[in-house]
Amino acid sequence: MTRPSRRRVLAGIAALAAMPARAATARVATLDWAMLETLLALGADVVAATELVLFRQIAVEPPVPATVADLGLRGAPNFEMLRLARPDLIFNSNFYARSNARLALIAPVDSYSLYVAGGAPYALAEAMTAGMAARLGLDAAPLIEGTGECLARLRKQVAGDRPVLPINFGDPRHFRVFGADSMFGEVLARLGLANAWTQPTSYSAMPPIGIETLAQFPDVRIAVIGPEPPDVADMLGRAPFWQALPQVRAGRVAMLGPINPFGALPSAVRFARLLAGRLGAA
Amino acid sequence: MTARAPLVFGGGIVAALALLAAVVAFRPPVPGDAALAMVLDRILFWQSLLPRAAVALLAGAALGLAGALLQRILRNPIADPSTLGIAAGAQLTLTLATAFAPGLVALSREGVALAGGLAAVAIVLALSWRRGLDPVTVILSGMMLSLVASALSVTVVLAKGDYVMSLFIWGAGALDQQGWGPAVTLALHLAAGGIAAGLMLRPLALLGLGDAAARGLGLAVQTFRLLALLVAVWLAAAVTAEVGIIAFVGLAAPAFARFCGARRPDAVLALSPLAGALILSLTDSTIRLSSGGFGDIAPTGAATALLGGPVLLWLLRGVHGGRRQPADATVAGRRLASPGRAIALLASVAALLLLGGLVAGRDAGGWHVATGGLFLDLLPFRAPRLIVAAAAGAMLAAAGTLLQRMTGNPMASPEVMGISAGGGVGLAAVLSLAGFPDPPTMIAGMAIGALATLGIVLAIGARSGFGPERLLLSGVALGAFGMSVLTTVLAGGGMRGYMLLAWLSGSTNDAGPVEAWTGAIAAAVLIAPLPFLGRWLDLLPLGDAIGAGLGLSVRRARLVLAIVAALLTAIASLLVGPLSLVGLVAPHLARLTGFVRGRDQLAAAVVIGASLLILADWFSRVVIFPYQVPLGLFASLVGGPYLIWLLNRGGNRHG
Repeated sequence: MTRPSRRRVLAGIAALAAMPARAATARVATLDWAMLETLLALGADVVAATELVLFRQIAVEPPVPATVADLGLRGAPNFEMLRLARPDLIFNSNFYARSNARLALIAPVDSYSLYVAGGAPYALAEAMTAGMAARLGLDAAPLIEGTGECLARLRKQVAGDRPVLPINFGDPRHFRVFGADSMFGEVLARLGLANAWTQPTSYSAMPPIGIETLAQFPDVRIAVIGPEPPDVADMLGRAPFWQALPQVRAGRVAMLGPINPFGALPSAVRFARLLAGRLGAA
Repeated sequence: MTARAPLVFGGGIVAALALLAAVVAFRPPVPGDAALAMVLDRILFWQSLLPRAAVALLAGAALGLAGALLQRILRNPIADPSTLGIAAGAQLTLTLATAFAPGLVALSREGVALAGGLAAVAIVLALSWRRGLDPVTVILSGMMLSLVASALSVTVVLAKGDYVMSLFIWGAGALDQQGWGPAVTLALHLAAGGIAAGLMLRPLALLGLGDAAARGLGLAVQTFRLLALLVAVWLAAAVTAEVGIIAFVGLAAPAFARFCGARRPDAVLALSPLAGALILSLTDSTIRLSSGGFGDIAPTGAATALLGGPVLLWLLRGVHGGRRQPADATVAGRRLASPGRAIALLASVAALLLLGGLVAGRDAGGWHVATGGLFLDLLPFRAPRLIVAAAAGAMLAAAGTLLQRMTGNPMASPEVMGISAGGGVGLAAVLSLAGFPDPPTMIAGMAIGALATLGIVLAIGARSGFGPERLLLSGVALGAFGMSVLTTVLAGGGMRGYMLLAWLSGSTNDAGPVEAWTGAIAAAVLIAPLPFLGRWLDLLPLGDAIGAGLGLSVRRARLVLAIVAALLTAIASLLVGPLSLVGLVAPHLARLTGFVRGRDQLAAAVVIGASLLILADWFSRVVIFPYQVPLGLFASLVGGPYLIWLLNRGGNRHG
């Protein structure tokens, strides 16, 4: 593999922009959002995927073409719809493995796991991207190396800043925190930032944690991954405990907006870019 | 009141205070700069720790009072806010508002939940009004509403993906506080509710004499019941609104009071709030102490059921048979002239539904009737799920018929017996141990969980010769225990929670040939021998004495029927999840249609159960295509209204 360079990254971005023109031959479908974002970023011919309404709100990028058929819920995909979309190949993850037997009736199924106990999702996402691209005859280098390049560039901006506590509010009194084995944790390490959460997690995120716990981390920067439940905004404005927190009083709370918490390389870039943007602003 | 009460309650109060003191003494230190740590610690102490202790006491007391009132006026020892649908109704409106009208939740989370609780009870009352608020009808309507509301909540949660964490924590009753608002609200509710209950002491004593006697003494029975019911609901809805569903306290507190020797209504009413406050406070302190840091190992509301379930099971040993609930109920007094022909008619309807399910559907372009190539294309996906639905419906209906016949209790159903929930616990255990297990492992785990639950229920039931109350009550306790384990795992979120949620919602979507054959063979093997047990089914509802007098070995008959019912339930809920209403509804529909003899009712219930789930499966496929709604939801939406209509058609028997 050649050393990534700015030129290669630009070439990769250009390739992404030209995506619709390079009609890949295999029609592919997937049940998993991490795979969907990877396939879209690779420029694959995606014919069907799950929960597109919510994907557009939470994962946001890459944009999903209107031609992709919505298969409904990830936990209960519409096999009839998938059958009629006539894919040549289906990608599936360990999360939805219970659907594999049904999927195999429609097309061959390729499986990858990004989030497993004790696993490192970034390296797994790189391997998955390379594997999917090879299977489809596409070039994985722009995405893999472009992501590495992007993180390396952002690292120069933010490395050595305060430790970051990546959290996601569930309700006004609870959040889940993302540990070292989450995609966010891995990205923080690559940005040269410490993850303030050093305790164990279960499958990358540790829920639910009472908001009092934030008092244990007075010096950190709190990175809030969206979307927030509606009553949280109200709480953030009013609750005496939240208002008294040193991180809040010093303005060290970064509201990052929605990011897919169980994503692949495109989500990693989105997290890094939004976080670096907020650090630059703070 | 016996000498036991002061001793037990005195001990309870001391223990609760000691644990609270320990919580304060061992609260985790705030790290960092000393001055800042002191400020934060003070805020935590005044704005979080103290209000939380107060909320535990107040919510427990309110639930205890609500439970005591409900059990008294409904004259049913297992009535509580959850069996009336109050908690589930509140949860549903909150879920709906979170998903579709977030502004309302931001405006008043409490108001939204309260509206749901009140709406639920209004529906339950309206449904049972024509039956003179007959206790059994009230509970039946409440339980059906609960199931429908839970199914709808799960559907919305599934459709909305990432908001689930919030809903589960709220649903599980987390007591964390950030201020005094909820404590003050609960205190006001409790004070008002307590005063109202105090004024009702005399009428409540009269109600214990029975409707006719009470009316003779000049008490407007309906008006009074309505009033007492409203007070109880208002209390329970307030608790649900402030801290979520706290399982079990409303059920356990009055039972605990009676165990301590309280017999007269004023004693039970006075002691139940105290018992409820102690139960919830002790549970919450235990959770805090065993969690160590700031986070909790489990939401307190789930923990009350974890701790309360075994406690109630233990309490049951001391409960003597008590008044036998007459197997009142719901028979419309109609009898079919030729049940055989009617069953054949029902069967042909079922066959037509099956055919319709195979050919009718939707695609990206609209509706279609699949023939030729399209039919063959879609057959591998449609046939297995329809067969699974039909088989599961038949098995659940058979299980429900057996349970209702053997207990003489119209509320009995696989859901109430806790067997489905036990299967869910088995699934949760497998998911926790193996991470991402393969399907056979998951099925094995669920079967073990269901059979273990059956074993416990039977072991407890055996001590009372399988007396109806004991069996039902232990089933309810175990079911609550199982559901609280599931809620805790769900609150843990992640993919494990998501997989459990998918099973809970009751989807036939993943059914393949293996599931179809499993369902078909199990249904055939387990249901086919049942007609030979027709005599047992006819004699058992008449009561132990009559059964034994007619030469029936009541104990053995109950044991055999219980095992068959549990097996039927275990396999059916492996296939379609635990939320189905079929086990409750189908036997009722059969009986209300006029199938009176045990064998006829069983056959009709099996056919009706299969038809209901076939219909539900088809609806779940097409209603919000391409998204799919859980089967359990449509089972309750199809069966519930029909049952309600039939219940009401019976007219006002009391008036």
